[in-house]
Amino acid sequence: MTSTTAMDRLRAAARDHRAYVEQWRVRHPGRPVVGVTPMNFPREIVLAAGALPVVIPDDQRPVGEGRAYLPEFYCGFTRNLADQAATGRLGHYDAILLADHCIQLLGASDVARALGARTPVFFGMLISSLSDSWAPARITEMMGQFRAEAERLTSAPVTDGALRAAIAAYNADRALLRQVFDARAAGDATWSPADLQDLVASALIMDPVEHHALLAEALAGIGPAARDDRVRVHLSGHLCHAPRRELLEVIEDCGAVVVDDDLWTGRRYVQSNVPLEEGGDPMEAIARWYAERNTRLPCPTRVQHDADWDSWLVDAVRRSGAEAVVHLMPKFCEPHMFLYPELRKALDAAGIPQLLVETEHEGIPLESFRTRLEALVERALRRRPAYA
Amino acid sequence: MTATTTADRSNRLAITRVGGQMIADYWEDLFVAREQGRKIVWYNGGALNPMFQAAGLAWCHGEAFAARLAAQHLEGPAQLAGAEYGYNAELCSYSRTHLGCAVLTLQGTKEPESGVVGLHDRADLASRLPAPDFFVNNYAGCSTGQQWDEVSFRVFGKQVPIFNVSHPFLWGNKPDAGYLSGEEWESASKYVRDQLVELIGFLEAQVGRPFDYDRLSESMTYIKRAAELRREGLDLCKATPAPATFWDWIACVAPINFLPGNQALVDYFQGVKDEIQDRLATGVSGVQDERYRLYFDGIMNWNKLGFLARKFADHGAAVVAGRYIQNAFWQEPQLIDTSDPLLGMAQHYLLCPTNHGNKTLEYLTLRDCREYDVDGIVFHSTRTCRAFTGPQRLLAKAARDQLGIPSIFFEGDVADASFYKEEILDSRLVAMLEAIDIARERGDHKLAGAGATVVGSS
Repeated sequence: MTSTTAMDRLRAAARDHRAYVEQWRVRHPGRPVVGVTPMNFPREIVLAAGALPVVIPDDQRPVGEGRAYLPEFYCGFTRNLADQAATGRLGHYDAILLADHCIQLLGASDVARALGARTPVFFGMLISSLSDSWAPARITEMMGQFRAEAERLTSAPVTDGALRAAIAAYNADRALLRQVFDARAAGDATWSPADLQDLVASALIMDPVEHHALLAEALAGIGPAARDDRVRVHLSGHLCHAPRRELLEVIEDCGAVVVDDDLWTGRRYVQSNVPLEEGGDPMEAIARWYAERNTRLPCPTRVQHDADWDSWLVDAVRRSGAEAVVHLMPKFCEPHMFLYPELRKALDAAGIPQLLVETEHEGIPLESFRTRLEALVERALRRRPAYA
Repeated sequence: MTATTTADRSNRLAITRVGGQMIADYWEDLFVAREQGRKIVWYNGGALNPMFQAAGLAWCHGEAFAARLAAQHLEGPAQLAGAEYGYNAELCSYSRTHLGCAVLTLQGTKEPESGVVGLHDRADLASRLPAPDFFVNNYAGCSTGQQWDEVSFRVFGKQVPIFNVSHPFLWGNKPDAGYLSGEEWESASKYVRDQLVELIGFLEAQVGRPFDYDRLSESMTYIKRAAELRREGLDLCKATPAPATFWDWIACVAPINFLPGNQALVDYFQGVKDEIQDRLATGVSGVQDERYRLYFDGIMNWNKLGFLARKFADHGAAVVAGRYIQNAFWQEPQLIDTSDPLLGMAQHYLLCPTNHGNKTLEYLTLRDCREYDVDGIVFHSTRTCRAFTGPQRLLAKAARDQLGIPSIFFEGDVADASFYKEEILDSRLVAMLEAIDIARERGDHKLAGAGATVVGSS
């Protein structure tokens, strides 16, 4: 793909978030940087408080000292977080905020709290059972606590005006990203999956206004590129952190072209905007965003009886014309393990070929994956009509 | 080859056989509940059984059923059925076993679909579990619990009603947050209590009659008394040598966790306490020639209960306390107001030993290590239970730094025997006991803690 200055800057932020944070601090002296854990923390509230909210990424370094604090059967992302905590690699955050009740994420966060005595770690637990009649009130209450915590951290009030501006900034950025994803699903092959991942991963790090400007610049003048006849695949899963770029590259190298996804560092992040209407209450809108986003793209970490990841996936495959699904499951990710049989059943019933690839934080056996991916591609090719 | 035997130095409480029969009777009763016209609820997490008892239901605690299968070494067919359905072996083995039971139960109502699990197995084992009329999830601490029941709901085709009780994790954000204290504790207690009121409405809708609050009070009165006797018995085990061990209390988990609140339950725990008192009076210990007092952190390795009891006793090691015993199962009975028990029940659900941040767990662990005069800690690194294992390394460090207590880790699992590593436990246990001996000889055991070791924690 392209190598524009704007794209280079986005890619740089995605791949070295600490350097971006350092630069941001130089440009914004005295303003705090807050690490937030994926996938549901309302960053708008932190931005409105004048801080930079960074979704803490897996920094893709091998887990060393962190092994002393979490067992090896925790997912790679949380073991990496523990390693970041153990080696001072979370030191660029002035505070860490959590909203998601994942027992592995809490384990890693407790390590961060125990080892980083001067960095406050605040956990506000967003209700995960979203079908309950009391869920909306509980969500609103928790969003209020986040607002209070952001005010406490920055010693400044979070005004409704600042919230509206933050919502508008993130909405605009997500909407622009969504256009790219929608175009890909409709046939545009401009962006490789690794490039798209950089676009989203940088959005998780950067100030949204700055990101939006760079993204618009990176997109400007780039026309759609027609897909070739490789097998069209949908990538599914990989919650909380990004799959390795080399894995994405191998998938396309095997004769597949990625046409859509529901990855966290993909469509899952960009899928829904905060529904703030003209003159509306921004906190109410943020609460609605959380309450409704699971219906827009169901997540196995939430419990909602009428939101089905399996049927969403089948519909998404039909929308994009994908010919196969590759499940990217981080090893030890329990929510994904729970739902995987339901996904498999639904895709089988719909006659959609699929492949489960279990990813690990270290030592991805790419050649083994290549063989399996090639088999999936062959299987999908055989299903094409003879005249195609 | 000639088999060699060593004398069993464990001296288990005789009364637990009575408990075992009570549990067996309970399950037999559940298996015929459908024929007797009772509605059946499947639930997970905190002990909601008094509410189900008051509502006239039959109840199946999912973890308990998985644990029972594992304890009887009968978990295999359910786990195979789960694997065939698509559940990964790294998934919580309680849930994997229970979901396998759900698959088998469903298959038991239709033509067999599985090529793995034979008809004989299904008839004898997991498929005896009657299908649920509805689910209730009451899982605190571990996020897996709520997802587990949601998936059960989906396995049954979303045709079975489900009710979720959501529990705030007691993280301890505020300076006033502590064990049983602080604004976080108070607000969480009220929040869960309010959900129990909603649950009562759900139960009324399911059974078609008003909820019997008097029956709930009655059941909770028995349970409170049983819990008091249990605590008194636990306190008696602070004596040296200990008259009973962690393994005896493990055998008492099922009765306190899900048997009906009634006089038989009180009588059972009175019997437990009496036997312990009798042992104290006559100088009988839970382990012959007790030399070491250990703390066990981790959820139980159910398929190794008797085996581990004998193994530790063989080394003269009395396991005298553990997070799964001292800090679980109606462990704070003073919180229960039997005339209006909902708040105290809600608080006990919140007091699940996996529902605390590390600061509180550290307080509880070190408190118990001091009170029971513990020499070392054994961490059961429970392979598929991320909830119990998450804080263990921080706890090991705190015990070493603050009490000078060494610890070991061994790998096993709640309900999947394949994860148990015999040689690792053997070698690490021997190493720790030798280290304790050497420290005693030097006179620096349990002092400053400098140089104390954590064996096998990496």
